[in-house]
Amino acid sequence: MSAKNTVIICVGNRHMNDDDLGPRVYDSLARREIPGDVSLIDGGLMGLNLLGIVEGAGRVVFIDVLQGFAPPGRPVVLDRASALEERPASYGHNGGLTYLLRMLPAVCQSDLPEIALIGAEPPIAPECVDEIADMAMSIATGERYGRERSTTIDAAQPGTP
Amino acid sequence: MHEKTVLQMPVNRVEGDLDLKVEIADRRVANAWCSGTMFRGFEQILAGRGALDGLVITPRVCGICGTAHLTAASRALDSIAGAEVPDSGIRLRNVALMVEHIQSDVRHGFLMFMPDFANPVYREHPLYEEAVRRYEPFRGQAVLETVRETKNVLEIVATLGGQWPHSSYMVPGGVVSVPGQSDLLQCIHLLRRYRQWYETRVLGCEIARWNAIRNASDLNSWLVEKEEHRQGEIGFFLRFAERAGLDAIGKGHGNFLSFGSFDLPRETQVKPGRPGEGQLVPAGFARGTRVEAFDAEKIEEHVSHSWFRDSGGPRHPFDGETRPYASGSEGAKYSWAKAPRYDSAPAETGPLAEAVIAGRPLFVDLVSKSGPNVFVRELARLARPAALLDPLEIWLREILGDGDFYSPPGEITEGVGAGFTQASRGALGHWVKIEDRKIVHYQIITPTAWHASPRDDAGIRGVMEEALVGTAVKDEQNPVEIGHVVRSFDACLVCTVHSISKRGTPNSARLLQLV
Repeated sequence: MSAKNTVIICVGNRHMNDDDLGPRVYDSLARREIPGDVSLIDGGLMGLNLLGIVEGAGRVVFIDVLQGFAPPGRPVVLDRASALEERPASYGHNGGLTYLLRMLPAVCQSDLPEIALIGAEPPIAPECVDEIADMAMSIATGERYGRERSTTIDAAQPGTP
Repeated sequence: MHEKTVLQMPVNRVEGDLDLKVEIADRRVANAWCSGTMFRGFEQILAGRGALDGLVITPRVCGICGTAHLTAASRALDSIAGAEVPDSGIRLRNVALMVEHIQSDVRHGFLMFMPDFANPVYREHPLYEEAVRRYEPFRGQAVLETVRETKNVLEIVATLGGQWPHSSYMVPGGVVSVPGQSDLLQCIHLLRRYRQWYETRVLGCEIARWNAIRNASDLNSWLVEKEEHRQGEIGFFLRFAERAGLDAIGKGHGNFLSFGSFDLPRETQVKPGRPGEGQLVPAGFARGTRVEAFDAEKIEEHVSHSWFRDSGGPRHPFDGETRPYASGSEGAKYSWAKAPRYDSAPAETGPLAEAVIAGRPLFVDLVSKSGPNVFVRELARLARPAALLDPLEIWLREILGDGDFYSPPGEITEGVGAGFTQASRGALGHWVKIEDRKIVHYQIITPTAWHASPRDDAGIRGVMEEALVGTAVKDEQNPVEIGHVVRSFDACLVCTVHSISKRGTPNSARLLQLV
């Protein structure tokens, strides 16, 4: 369980170039100064095993590869419900991030944290990785973020308010 | 005129990339081919690296069996170095691996296998609605409880090993983490909480009562003895499985293999799995229930039907090669999995194999009467925690009074060694050669390599392929019976790309306003 209020969890496999967005953003963030109330986690492929980190946090920002939400290389920010749209219900041994997000309201043994998922579809240029790292820090430290502020905008202009 | 169709299907609720082709004639599986569709290549990654690198890299072979791979890697290096692991080093290794098993067994049961009971194909089954209430994905009561309880009990591995999954706290000669008294007491607390849930909700009785069941007749008597027994998850499984006919499918070759697991410390109250031996889970090979002593020299790998370069017949893992070869022999080669064999025979491994080889009376009786099948295979998995929870707590308590965790074996510069253990899904082996402080050879045979094996040089089917033959399929559009057979082996073909994708073409998405 996290002792800090906000957690940034970078998900993926740095050895697979179509799944390495999370680790690349982690590397970018690890070089920066992180505020004391924000934890940065290399989530790897832990999937459902991230539950213990999510519990107790006030806000969680996930970073992972996304497919089909926007043209390749463009950052997208989703809330929990949007990330799960049209996803099949299947469990593998680790569950995966999708499984964790879907199960969270039913199994979280603390108040449900605010959740954002930031990602992009490969190929992802280095400047896009840095942009996503900026967005992660912005959401992690911002005060205006909240589920009630969800809105639908055109993904042709992703990443812009 | 026989009707013949071929189904080619990726199989979900197994781990990794399993592609299955089955030929169905007259509504029964007439033939089957299992194909692992991803090249893994850990053996190549390890060659040329430092002697100890397997301790960090191999726990990443799999996100669910990391402790088992760490155990096998450590034992291979123990063997090369001639290391003597102190008693509490042995206990600490055992405890984490046992926790890995007890969480895996229930996650597989209630998150992967039992959801098939909520398949609409069973809507006429009198227990269908109750199955939906228990196992419906994301909502079933057993599903939610399993996620919560397994998350909690895994904190034991994180406490003792520094993290879960992918811990690397074992080294040749013992372990590098030394838990404090408060850590151990917390682990005991977490274990008791899990045990209370397992006894109350899964068994419906105390472990001692369950372990007193010695044969099929006892099992039937136990089921009607109390309402709690009928309402527990195992009681429900027994009632559902009987009518669903799970004892009539998934027979297979009838051979069992265990590499053995959980060395006993020199001083311990835990009794060996077989009298006079040194492990809680004994090693062995069995044809039916006739058990033979385990001989690691009898293990070979065939590649005649795998996408690897042929090397003149089957090879022992110390001599094996992993050279991808995906061209030529089209049609004959169909999998990235090799075909391991023991004494030239395919063999299933896992909880049922452990129970048969250990001579546990209930499972010896069930296999003697009906052979292996989906029902007894899954029952063995659901019941395995009942055999592990008592020794687990004993070892945690024994660590409290003994602080001897590590005995330096000296630098490992050269040598040859093998590390054997039982992963949650069965027999796991690492074969390692070290020269000039570097790994020059590393071969891994996982439990699913035994189960998802393709045909061997003699054309003999792999374990799952054989188990599928003869399976009656009521509805080819919804072949739940095939899912039962495959999932009863808890197949795990390791992880590949994980991402969240939305079906269809990119379009508008609901975005959050940024600050």
